Amino acid sequence: MAMRKIFFIFFVASLVAVACRAGATEVPKQIKIGTLYASSGTFAPLSMPVHYGLKLWVDRMNAEGGVYIKAYGKRIPIKLISYDDQSNTATAASLYDQLITQDKVNILIADAGSVLTSVALPIAREHKMLLIDPIGIGAPFFTPDSPYIVLIGGPVSTIWCKNIHEFITDEGPKLGIKRVAILYSTNDFTGTQANTIRKAIEKSRTGIKVVYDQGVPTSTTSYTVIINGIKAAKPDAVIELGYPINDISFLRNLRESGVKFKWLFTSYPGMETEHFEKTVGVKGLYYVYTDMPASIMNYKAAFGMSLPEFHAAWNKQYPGGKVGFDFNSVVGYTTGLVLEKALGSAASMDQLALRQAIVGLSGKLKTLDGTFAVDPKTGAQIGETMPIGQILPSGKDGIKLIVVYPKQLATGKLVYPAP
Amino acid sequence: MLGYTILAGLLFGLYFSLVGLGLNLVFGVVRIVNLAHGDFLMLGAFSAYWLFSLFAVSPFISVVLVFVGFSIIAWPLYYLLVPRLMATKDPEMLSLILFFGFSQVIEALATIAFGTSDRSIPGRALHMGPCRLFGQNYPASWIVGAVVSAAAVLFIYLYLYHTTKGYLSRAVMAHREEAVASGINVNRVCAIAFSIGVGLAAAAGVFAPFIFGSINPAMGVNITITSLTVIVVGSLGNPLGTVLGGLTYGISLMFMQTYFSSWANLLAYVMLILILLIRPSGLLGRSVRYA
Repeated sequence: MAMRKIFFIFFVASLVAVACRAGATEVPKQIKIGTLYASSGTFAPLSMPVHYGLKLWVDRMNAEGGVYIKAYGKRIPIKLISYDDQSNTATAASLYDQLITQDKVNILIADAGSVLTSVALPIAREHKMLLIDPIGIGAPFFTPDSPYIVLIGGPVSTIWCKNIHEFITDEGPKLGIKRVAILYSTNDFTGTQANTIRKAIEKSRTGIKVVYDQGVPTSTTSYTVIINGIKAAKPDAVIELGYPINDISFLRNLRESGVKFKWLFTSYPGMETEHFEKTVGVKGLYYVYTDMPASIMNYKAAFGMSLPEFHAAWNKQYPGGKVGFDFNSVVGYTTGLVLEKALGSAASMDQLALRQAIVGLSGKLKTLDGTFAVDPKTGAQIGETMPIGQILPSGKDGIKLIVVYPKQLATGKLVYPAP
Repeated sequence: MLGYTILAGLLFGLYFSLVGLGLNLVFGVVRIVNLAHGDFLMLGAFSAYWLFSLFAVSPFISVVLVFVGFSIIAWPLYYLLVPRLMATKDPEMLSLILFFGFSQVIEALATIAFGTSDRSIPGRALHMGPCRLFGQNYPASWIVGAVVSAAAVLFIYLYLYHTTKGYLSRAVMAHREEAVASGINVNRVCAIAFSIGVGLAAAAGVFAPFIFGSINPAMGVNITITSLTVIVVGSLGNPLGTVLGGLTYGISLMFMQTYFSSWANLLAYVMLILILLIRPSGLLGRSVRYA
């Protein structure tokens, strides 16, 4: 009888010991964050600032002993594993797979832009890895049946252009805008924006007509003939949607052709103003309407550095200006900030728990990139919206940017028609 | 619209004749395919950019400096790379691989040196506003590019048909083995052609910031593909064919941009496939060995 009792006690003690061992989570020495960047090729100007912004956050975290992870109850150093995809989608696909299967990263961050994000999504989904998407904003990525993606640094393309079509339909009739031309690059980023704007104008019942509606390949760098075609359609407003290389070529060709439009919108002069001043020339930017991103708006940051602080930290870490400071730099840093907050609140390191933690930040997190807000069903960013600004002459050879829409954010009076 | 499109195509096409001219000369004389051609153009573009940014050198002066400078640089490069290629069994095929690798090296080094951002020279550097032709405005850079291209074609024509070295070049183009047997210093003739070819690519690059809006280290590959299209459509090894190829490409591109803009980037590849299927020797139909 005594033997049975001893055996029973030993058995129960063993069970408790095993249970305790199983319950204690093994704390890793480091958290592996895997990402890609494009040091060359078409997307390099977009990708490198995002990557450098993220690196800046990683370096700051590691200087503090790592990032705090609630699931482990302590700070853990970050190991950033990054590969160069050279803007090549095939290379990117193979490297995303390598990050997951060989490097076994804990967190997967996509390269910047819709093109290089598009190849990451099916791979992440297949491996049930959450794809942290800094700025691949193409609307088709975000569907209710795909929980393995969440957009961090900028609004999804259908929201990105919200202020453009609202301006046209709200303010357009008052200004006398009746005919609109839409020229866009045929990629997920600008293609979906063009669709959204076209539909919004058609639905508005304001009598505004889309009189020119053409897509061009993203690689287009010659717009002279296209500009002539737009001019022939006699639009009151022209919306050109493209990547920086498209916007630069369009604005240069426009100026060199001597053609003027009464109202012209292009996205990137506001996002990369210094760069556009150098490439297009100051006079080529006069009276252009543009997106006003977080790198200009100076939103009050409740978490992380403010815009001036971040800019100073950027200049200190990356002197020489080979990778310019712009909106994409803010996006890279914001991606780190969102991860920091999410890791500090996620109950476990499970991928969907991490997603839940990120979605949980929605509406509560205010960074230098504006108010973070995610659609819980699709993972699309619906905060961090882009006001519309206009570039006006200032002094002899200068420019100033004023916010013109939405009205509650307006900082000046728009000039229409452009002289 | 139609008239504007055709004239724009002619002007744009003339610039692409300049872009392809050096590649065709190198292929015609040296019998190698310089897949780093677009990268030399890119380097020429960056040279013009730095000359303007640092010393306010006008593109009209840069084009001469860049042509001479790159021709000089290309001379030792030829002796470093090409004679070894020529000693192999299949130099044409191996040149594809070697110069592809060389192109990647140039792009990588340029990225490290210049960064990834697009750069450009302000339009005011040309000191010209839009030019009016037949009642329509065209960018001054297109007119300048076309004029420089015409001058380059004339230069190549005069070189090939009115200089001793040109006669020797044509002899090498016509029959390399016979040229060697008759005592022509083939390597020297080829080195001159290679130098001129690289110099012309770099000179074309001076106007790239104006024609394409901006430049970056990654632009070379697309330029090389377009250049190949231009010279294959015209006729491999024939400088006049390059002009015809450039004009055909320019006009076709402008028509595509006007009426089927979404498909415009397929043009180069479609033209390559069609010309190789229908008329492999190019529009002028002259074999490379009979320049």
